[in-house]
Amino acid sequence: MNLDNTRLPRTFRLSGVLLVLGLLTEMLSLHWIHPLAFMGFIIVGGALLGVGVLLFLYSLLVMNHPTGSADSE
Amino acid sequence: MPGPLGILYVFLGSTIILLLAILAWPSVTVTRGGKILAFVGFFVLPVFCGVWGASEHFERSKRTAFCLSCHVMEPYGQSLHIDDANHIPAAHFQNHRIPVDEACYTCHTDYAMYGTIKVKLHGLRHVYVQYFGKAMQPIQLYEPFNNRECLHCHSGARSFENDIHTAMIDQLKSGQVSCVSSGCHDTVHDVVSLSKFKVWSPTE
Repeated sequence: MNLDNTRLPRTFRLSGVLLVLGLLTEMLSLHWIHPLAFMGFIIVGGALLGVGVLLFLYSLLVMNHPTGSADSE
Repeated sequence: MPGPLGILYVFLGSTIILLLAILAWPSVTVTRGGKILAFVGFFVLPVFCGVWGASEHFERSKRTAFCLSCHVMEPYGQSLHIDDANHIPAAHFQNHRIPVDEACYTCHTDYAMYGTIKVKLHGLRHVYVQYFGKAMQPIQLYEPFNNRECLHCHSGARSFENDIHTAMIDQLKSGQVSCVSSGCHDTVHDVVSLSKFKVWSPTE
């Protein structure tokens, strides 16, 4: 992980934001025993967490690849 | 002492705080320890919380309150309180022959391989019909009630071993004779005549 700059690469930041939103969705859905809470967690929360984690892993691969470069702005 | 749900909330809150801290102060990721912390915050904890949350939601979807949270199911919930021992669901519910918190699921799941997945898919269809379609009136099962669901608990029980059941056990197991629609135990969820019955309520 080449995170020596004082700013995180954009993909990492985006991944972090998606993960926070996914976790907040999960927290919210757990307050409610209802099929919509279940669907909300699976569809919205699951998608946000899944994309967030995959984006993070992709960012790691790109950062560690000798020719690759994550957009570090 | 917080229960499992409380611990899950703690994990969720901690993960969110950790992620926000890393996003706010990215310089912490410069050191080796910081990189490990970032990996835990961006990957390990979110996956852990997601899997735990999914498991919690799947367990909740078995709850009686979950099934009865849709308006269309309310009469079926009320039928569990009919004060008449001949009403099979009511007698099972009121005498705790089934777990009260998972009453619907216990009888309406599918005790076969992949049965749980099958009923979850049915559940997704129910949600679709509830919000984008029109529920059938009266509500009917997709398939005739399978004796397997009754025998899952009753088979081998002392109260089940009487002359009548013993004589027809092969027919019951093969489904030739239905437990609930062959004239033996056929009073189930009589929601049409609900108002005619006395209602039982627990004394607690």
